[in-house]
Amino acid sequence: MASSLIIGQYVPEESVVHKLDPRTKIVMIFAFVIFVFFANNGWSYLWLTAFSIGAALSTKIKLRYIARGLKPVWFLIVFTFLLHLFVTREGDVLFDIIGFPIYTGALIQGVQISMRFFLLILVTSMLTLTTTPIEITDAIETLLHPLKKVKFPVHELALMMSISLRFIPTLMQETEKISKAQASRGVDFRTGPLKERIQAVVPLLVPLFVSAFKRAEELAMAMEARGYKGGEGRSKLRELEVRARDYLAVVVFILMIVGLFLLRDM
Amino acid sequence: MFTFTAKDLTFSAIFIVLMTIGANITFWLPFLAIPIGGVNVPLSLQPFFAILSGLLLGRRLGVLSMTGYLALGVIGVPVFSQLQAGPFVLFNYTGGFLLSFVLISFLSGFLKEKLPVTNLKSLTTITMTSTIVSYLIGVSYMYLAMNVWLNLNVSYAAAWISMIPFLIKDLVLALLLASIALRLLTQLPHLKNGRR
Repeated sequence: MASSLIIGQYVPEESVVHKLDPRTKIVMIFAFVIFVFFANNGWSYLWLTAFSIGAALSTKIKLRYIARGLKPVWFLIVFTFLLHLFVTREGDVLFDIIGFPIYTGALIQGVQISMRFFLLILVTSMLTLTTTPIEITDAIETLLHPLKKVKFPVHELALMMSISLRFIPTLMQETEKISKAQASRGVDFRTGPLKERIQAVVPLLVPLFVSAFKRAEELAMAMEARGYKGGEGRSKLRELEVRARDYLAVVVFILMIVGLFLLRDM
Repeated sequence: MFTFTAKDLTFSAIFIVLMTIGANITFWLPFLAIPIGGVNVPLSLQPFFAILSGLLLGRRLGVLSMTGYLALGVIGVPVFSQLQAGPFVLFNYTGGFLLSFVLISFLSGFLKEKLPVTNLKSLTTITMTSTIVSYLIGVSYMYLAMNVWLNLNVSYAAAWISMIPFLIKDLVLALLLASIALRLLTQLPHLKNGRR
């Protein structure tokens, strides 16, 4: 189970994608998420797939590793495909499966929507594969900076996210430890009516809350001891910097989008 | 202006972590998957933690921490149920339930100021209203998502009918969770007076 719970599956490699500024990556990935919805025929999907696989290859991460990361979502992709296959009724009847007529329109739509899903998942997973969580939260802080004007606590939000990243693995281990400890003390997690099973959550939650809040308390104290007093005037060890390769990546990306719109009309 | 203490930030961060654990609680407690119509539906403690975040942190910090949770998932950290992540999770037909956590947190933080949270009755009111509000948002969003961008034409009534078994499950759960929340709040008394 532990291996399926790898959080922020960052893979360190020496690739162009890794070296890009995290802000560039976030902006491009979000643009991609929007433009995927503009693909409308086989060619445009093929074009986007080629681009995404090209991008995946350029990270120098083994494709097998990336595919393993996508494991939990294969089910979702297949499910979406089947849902469309049976629900949509457009075009001609292609063939019957145990009394269910399959339409050509359904097949096309099913393939398109599951392709869309696949592309979205592949490209968005690229961000966490090539960027450390700290870089991501730093990038968010600078990208959302304009929101400060409307008094939105951008710095606080970003810091909160970094802190939680640090504690997700710790508290997950803690949960596992507590559930084993309580089971060994005879808390019955397995049998009985639903009501009792849900009540059995209490011996898990109470120690979890105590330990979680203790950690929060200690961290807050450590922050205060080191003189934390909000985002104003706080300097950074690693400043984010936009370089030539970022501009190049954006140009390549824009060319890809132009290509997409040309293929749309084919 | 509202200033954040270090404690505010660390406690809100802890709630982001708790949401992650609550979303995947069946990893550790597989018995919490309950059968509905032959399919095992994994229970999620997310709404419960969202409500608690409002109760313990207050509406402001609660909303901020839930926003942080969603933001973390959107940028690709697998914090959602079944360790999903990415912007598409919000655009999927269940995305409305995720968005509703922000409102639930606000709502319970708001109700906490009006009702005494040390008795079962008001806690039940809070969990029940939150569940209903969450479904109102979730199902409307589901209808919107299916018709507008997932190209599935489903009527609003059909969307509700398909979700009714889950609604019943969650209302029963809300009753039980109210009593659990009461036990948590009384067993951990120093939590009761959240900062705001």
